[in-house]
Amino acid sequence: MSISSDFHDERRTLSLEGPFTIYEAGASKARLLAALSEASGLDIDLSGVVEFDTAGIQILLLLKREAARQEKPLVFLGHSRSVLAVLDLYNMGGVFGDPVVLSGEGRS
Amino acid sequence: MNLDAVRLIFFEESEELLAAMEAALLAVEAATGPEQEEHLNAMFRAAHTIKGSAGLFEMNGIVAFTHRCESLLDRMRSGELEITSELVELLFSCRDHMSSMIEAERLGHPVPSALSLDAQLEEFLQQTQQPSPPLPVVPPEETVKVESDGEHVVASDYWHISLRFGVDVLRNGMDPISFLRYLSDLGRIVYITTLYDGLPDPDDMDPESCYLGFEIQFSAGPGVDKVAIENVFEFVRDDSKVRILPPHSHLAEFVRLIKDMPEGASLLGETLVRGGALTAKELEEVLAIQREQTEIGEHRQLGELLVEERLAHPTAVEAALDKQREQVAHKTREHRVVRVDATRLDALIDLVGELVIAGAASLLSAKQAGNPILLESLGSLGELVERIRDEALSLRMVPVGEIFGRFPRVVRDTARELGKEIQLELAGEETELDKSMVDKLSDPLVHLVRNAMDHGIETAELRRKRGKSDSGTVWLNAYHESGSVVIEVGDDGGGMNRDRIRARGIERGLIGADEILGDQALLQLIFAPGFSTAEAVTSLSGRGVGMDVVKRNIEALKGTIEMESVVGEGTIIRLRMPLTLAIIDGFQVAVGTSTFVIPLDMVLECLDLPVEVMAANRNFLSLRGEVLPFLPLRRLFEVEGRAPGRQAIVVVQYGNQRAGLVVDRLEGELQAVIKPLGHLFRGVKGLAGSTILGSGAVALILDVPDLILRASSDERRRMVSSSLQEGKRLGVWEGNAP
Amino acid sequence: MAAADSKKTILIVDDSPSLRQVVSLALTHAGYDVVEAGDGREGLAKLDGRRIHLIISDVNMPNMDGIAFVRAVKQLQEYRFTPIIMLTTEAQEDKKIEGQMAGAKAWVVKPFRPDQMLRAVAKLIQP
Repeated sequence: MSISSDFHDERRTLSLEGPFTIYEAGASKARLLAALSEASGLDIDLSGVVEFDTAGIQILLLLKREAARQEKPLVFLGHSRSVLAVLDLYNMGGVFGDPVVLSGEGRS
Repeated sequence: MNLDAVRLIFFEESEELLAAMEAALLAVEAATGPEQEEHLNAMFRAAHTIKGSAGLFEMNGIVAFTHRCESLLDRMRSGELEITSELVELLFSCRDHMSSMIEAERLGHPVPSALSLDAQLEEFLQQTQQPSPPLPVVPPEETVKVESDGEHVVASDYWHISLRFGVDVLRNGMDPISFLRYLSDLGRIVYITTLYDGLPDPDDMDPESCYLGFEIQFSAGPGVDKVAIENVFEFVRDDSKVRILPPHSHLAEFVRLIKDMPEGASLLGETLVRGGALTAKELEEVLAIQREQTEIGEHRQLGELLVEERLAHPTAVEAALDKQREQVAHKTREHRVVRVDATRLDALIDLVGELVIAGAASLLSAKQAGNPILLESLGSLGELVERIRDEALSLRMVPVGEIFGRFPRVVRDTARELGKEIQLELAGEETELDKSMVDKLSDPLVHLVRNAMDHGIETAELRRKRGKSDSGTVWLNAYHESGSVVIEVGDDGGGMNRDRIRARGIERGLIGADEILGDQALLQLIFAPGFSTAEAVTSLSGRGVGMDVVKRNIEALKGTIEMESVVGEGTIIRLRMPLTLAIIDGFQVAVGTSTFVIPLDMVLECLDLPVEVMAANRNFLSLRGEVLPFLPLRRLFEVEGRAPGRQAIVVVQYGNQRAGLVVDRLEGELQAVIKPLGHLFRGVKGLAGSTILGSGAVALILDVPDLILRASSDERRRMVSSSLQEGKRLGVWEGNAP
Repeated sequence: MAAADSKKTILIVDDSPSLRQVVSLALTHAGYDVVEAGDGREGLAKLDGRRIHLIISDVNMPNMDGIAFVRAVKQLQEYRFTPIIMLTTEAQEDKKIEGQMAGAKAWVVKPFRPDQMLRAVAKLIQP
């Protein structure tokens, strides 16, 4: 998975590209947590996530909880089909509470 | 490619494999070591592979036969079966038979059978006696037997599935996503809640571990039963928690579910309500039941839950619910329970016993060597051993609440049968006793309770006349007392009518018409075989069958029965059971060259035997104004040699009876590992077991209850008869003296 | 897990060509791509960077047996979390346990019918 970042009015937007699974989980966790602690708020664009699994959703949950603890705004946006499929199956749309806009499957 | 083409491949492949098998068979006898192993492997593979492929084509005759060959070869590989020319000959025939079976399949002919070969294979397989490997079986679901009267089942029409995935599932490539997708192929997931409370803080969260759980309402497709749903989770069942409750499950099932899951009642309860598994009202009932269970010591089978009864008191439910809510807040996670085979526990305790002995032996040699450093380190080692001993022994101990738990049901049912109104009160459920004892006490207690309800508690009419409340009370109570566990069965009924017991005893020929019995002995008559005082023979405990069995069972556990009964007020029956520990703290005494051990918790005090008592040649002394009967162990066990000038007396107590044991020397405390008596001592009364001392010598453990009984009856006999009997030996030996 | 667009690929490792082909036929029909190998060593050679979503492996094979193969797979960075189905036989319960310890948590007992294999696969991955 590659992560690219972008700044807009102090808010940072991270764009995740490629698979977001257990194979990448160690690196994803470290990098996303680090990004969160550096920024005052995060938007995470999931439209480039082509593969997503339980390890992936656990990291999103961890991030969400950590952002709340640090009192920083965190928004997931552009959920790709892979991400949505898991969110739907797990009935977790409400947990993230983000506006879910259907995007295309990946950009790769 | 179609299946016929693959069949052709199978026939070719089999030919090759059988050729390889033949080659291996020809060489195997002459070969040794790894070479021989490789030949065996080749033969095994041939049978194994043919079996696997034949299965795919559903050639069942070939599968069955090759399966036997495979098993035989597996045992040859593992060395369980020796390679003999007889065996090799048999395998040649098997190979040829496989070949002709496959040939028949190829030609579309009926597959030949070879009964004699089957029989020979079977014979060799039987020889090894290796039990067939257990097939993975679905663990039997404990059936919860609660009356399903429609009122106490949940309203939900759906299956409820609770999943807590094991922490390693993702690492093993088992993603919950796949299992849930597969599940939705078998029906419809109506509602799913994903639980992620187990997700740790970032530092502790291993991104490759799984922390999720699910609560699912599931609408099963046609023909999908519990086994089918269980099979969905077959590959994760070992390390995950999977609970499947059918539609309209009993509330008790949900009580158990909530108890089994780590989230705690309030969180999980809310989840269940949100998902539609329970209505809010049903949840309240579940929580109330659970609360009451914890209150009365729990540990009992849910099957015995009196759901119906408990639901009958809405105010109690409210109160319990409030309490529950308070407690949930600071109640940490339930302690986890690991089930261990009792025999492994026994093996552990045995080993700890050996450890104690070895420790004592080391201490002894260290003392002899006089090495202070060694002594000190052995001292701390000894403390550890002692703690291990206590821990190990406590593993066997279970709260008596395990038995008490079944009584609400027993009492309710019995009361209904008798048409009496009777309440049950329980106390001391946390009192612990040996697990093996718990199992054996249950039935006798049930009998005593039913007896108390039947014969003890009067009819409402009579109770009113006696100025008692209409509803009678039966209670069970347990507590520890001087090294034993006491279990009381009490009632507030009419008490025992001594005259009637006596009359019945005479009528049944249990006592002579003019025989004079003490109160205790008279009451004990009810335990005599064939005794019954009930005026009306009832279906319950009528014919007096059982009370004698109760007594026998209790005595078999080395327990005793005491009774207390006041006419018009009630009866208490006390069962006094030993703790039956495998290791005891003992007090070591010596008589001549023999060593005896007295369980320490029965020892009250030690004193010098007053010279005048010895001289008087009587068997009691006055201890602070009370008569204390005593037994000289020297005489009792016919120990050789003369008593020293000064002897000591050890005062022991069991229940409320005391006696003194006269010994030559007091040698101090020790830990004794109870071993059974050798055949030499079997049949000797007054001995409870033997133990090995640190020095390697054998010491005998005294059976204090028996000795006390002996001392007091001995003393009584002396009091009634004259001193003529002095000097007569107690005939304790049934075999020969050592 | 949630699919990339291409088909999922399954590696089947068994020394019996007929078994491989029947299984392969069934899996292909169900919508998977299949890669075959005749023993553990060959199986490892197929793990050359291509995406493999599931591995089916026999226990008893010449050259490198199933247990050793599973252990080797678990050491490969790119494949260590791949689900593995062991083909066991009830005569060798100990092998099944050994396989589970090595990391192959799913199993199918030989002899099996193609539909039984498909069901086991469907629990772990979907096409």
